[in-house]
Amino acid sequence: MAKPLVFLLGEDEIAVTLNKIDRSRLYGFKEVEAVDEHGEICQLATLADDGRTLIPRGGTGLVWTDAEGAWCEKSELKPVNVDGNELVPVQSSFNAPIKLFDTATVDEYLNHNIRLAYSLSLEGTDDNAANSLMQLRSELQRGTIFAFAYSYRGGLEADAAFLLLSEEGEIMLAVGSPTQVAFVGIQAPTHSSEEDSPEDSEEELMDFDMI
Amino acid sequence: MGDINLANSSGRDAVVATASVVSERNVRWLDKQGRQASSARVIKSTMPYEIDRLISVAGTVSKLSQLLVDGDPEIDLENTGRILRETARVYVDKDRGIVRNVQFWEIVKNADGSVRERRPRKLADTNISSDTPLRWSGIFVPKEKAIRKFVFSSKAQIQHVNGLTYDFLFGMARDLEQRNSLMLLGAGPKSNQPLILRRGAVPYRGFLEGRTDGDKYLLLLHFSNMELKTPTPSERPTSEEGASA
Repeated sequence: MAKPLVFLLGEDEIAVTLNKIDRSRLYGFKEVEAVDEHGEICQLATLADDGRTLIPRGGTGLVWTDAEGAWCEKSELKPVNVDGNELVPVQSSFNAPIKLFDTATVDEYLNHNIRLAYSLSLEGTDDNAANSLMQLRSELQRGTIFAFAYSYRGGLEADAAFLLLSEEGEIMLAVGSPTQVAFVGIQAPTHSSEEDSPEDSEEELMDFDMI
Repeated sequence: MGDINLANSSGRDAVVATASVVSERNVRWLDKQGRQASSARVIKSTMPYEIDRLISVAGTVSKLSQLLVDGDPEIDLENTGRILRETARVYVDKDRGIVRNVQFWEIVKNADGSVRERRPRKLADTNISSDTPLRWSGIFVPKEKAIRKFVFSSKAQIQHVNGLTYDFLFGMARDLEQRNSLMLLGAGPKSNQPLILRRGAVPYRGFLEGRTDGDKYLLLLHFSNMELKTPTPSERPTSEEGASA
C-alpha cells in the first residue's frame, strides 16, 4: 500500500492518499501508429551519426564525463547551484509531515506552471482524521491556498506545491515550478538603460567600423 | 521570442512578441577537481543485437542461453559505449530496414480505452501568429474561479515590440486587471478553437491575464488542456476495460 502524505494543520495530522488527475482518464487519448506502404507497423529507431548504425528504442544511455571528456560515476560528482554553492538534497515529502503554514495569493499561484495535479482522499476512517479534514476543507473554502515545497522521492530540488479546493469542492494538490515573469515598461525588458551610456551610443553612431 | 497576432476589445489588432517564462534549471555538476562535468548519450545496444534477432540467429531460446553463458553475443563490441552526437529518428520495418515512405495514423481512444476513431494524422498549423488575429472573446473567468477549474501547465509573456504596441498591450493588461479575470483566448472566427503554438503541437485553451504596476504591465497567456477535476465514475476505466484496450 502506498505511503500516505501527511499534513500538519495546527496540531492535527491529516494523512491523505494521492490520486493523480490524468488527462487521458478525463478525455481519452490519442496513439500514433506508423505504417509502411504495405500497412505493416513500423518501429521508431535512432540512426547514429555514422549514418548506418541503427539503435532500437531503449538502446541508448546517459553517462557523465569530466572536463577532459573521461567517463566518471555520477556519485563522484558534486551538484552545485548557479553560484557554485553545493546543493543539499531534499527529502521525500512522504518522509515527514508537511506543515501547512505558508499561503499563496492567486497571482503567486498563477506565476507557476502546474505539472501535476492530484485529488486527495483521506487515509483511514477514524473520526479524528475526518474532523481534521473538515477543518482543512473549511480553511480552503475561505479561499486559502497553502504553499509548500514538495518532492515525491527526494532529490536535489523540491517542486512548488499548492493545496487548494477545486470548483467541484475537492481538495487538490497542484505541483509545479515557478516561472520568470516580470513587469515590463516602455523599454523592452532585455534592454537595460544602465548598460548603454549616452557616450557609448554617440561613439557607436560615429563608429564607421560598424558599417 | 515568437509572435502573436492579437486584437483588443476595440477590434484593433497588432503583431506582438511572446517570450518564454520557463525557469532554467540551475543545477551544475562538478568533478573531483571542481570542474564542470557534462552528460553525454552513448550507445547501449544496436538493432542486430536485439533479443529477437539473437533468438532467431541461435535457433531456440535455450541455445541462446548457452551462447550467453559461453560468450557475449548480446554486446556489439564495435559500437557499445560510443558517444552519440547528431542522430536522426527513423522508422524500421519488421526486418529492421529503414522505411522511407512512412504513413502516420491517429487512433483516438475514449477514456475507457475503447477506440473512437482511426484516421490519417494531420499536423495542424500554428494559429497564433497567422494573418487572422486572435479576437478579444469577451469571455471572462474570475481568477479565483479559473485556478480552481483549470490546470495551467504553461504560459508565455506577451510583450510589446514598439511604443505603439506598448500602449496597446498596457491598455489590455489594465482592462483585465480591473476585471480581476482571465479572458478565454481562442482561435478562429468565433474564438472557439484551441491555440496551436507550433505546427503539429498539442492544442491548448488560452487564457489571457493582465496586471499593471505604475507604467509597467504584465500580460500573460496561460495554457491549459485539462480541467482540475477527477474523472466521474463513468469516465473511469475499470481494470478489465483497461486491460482489454
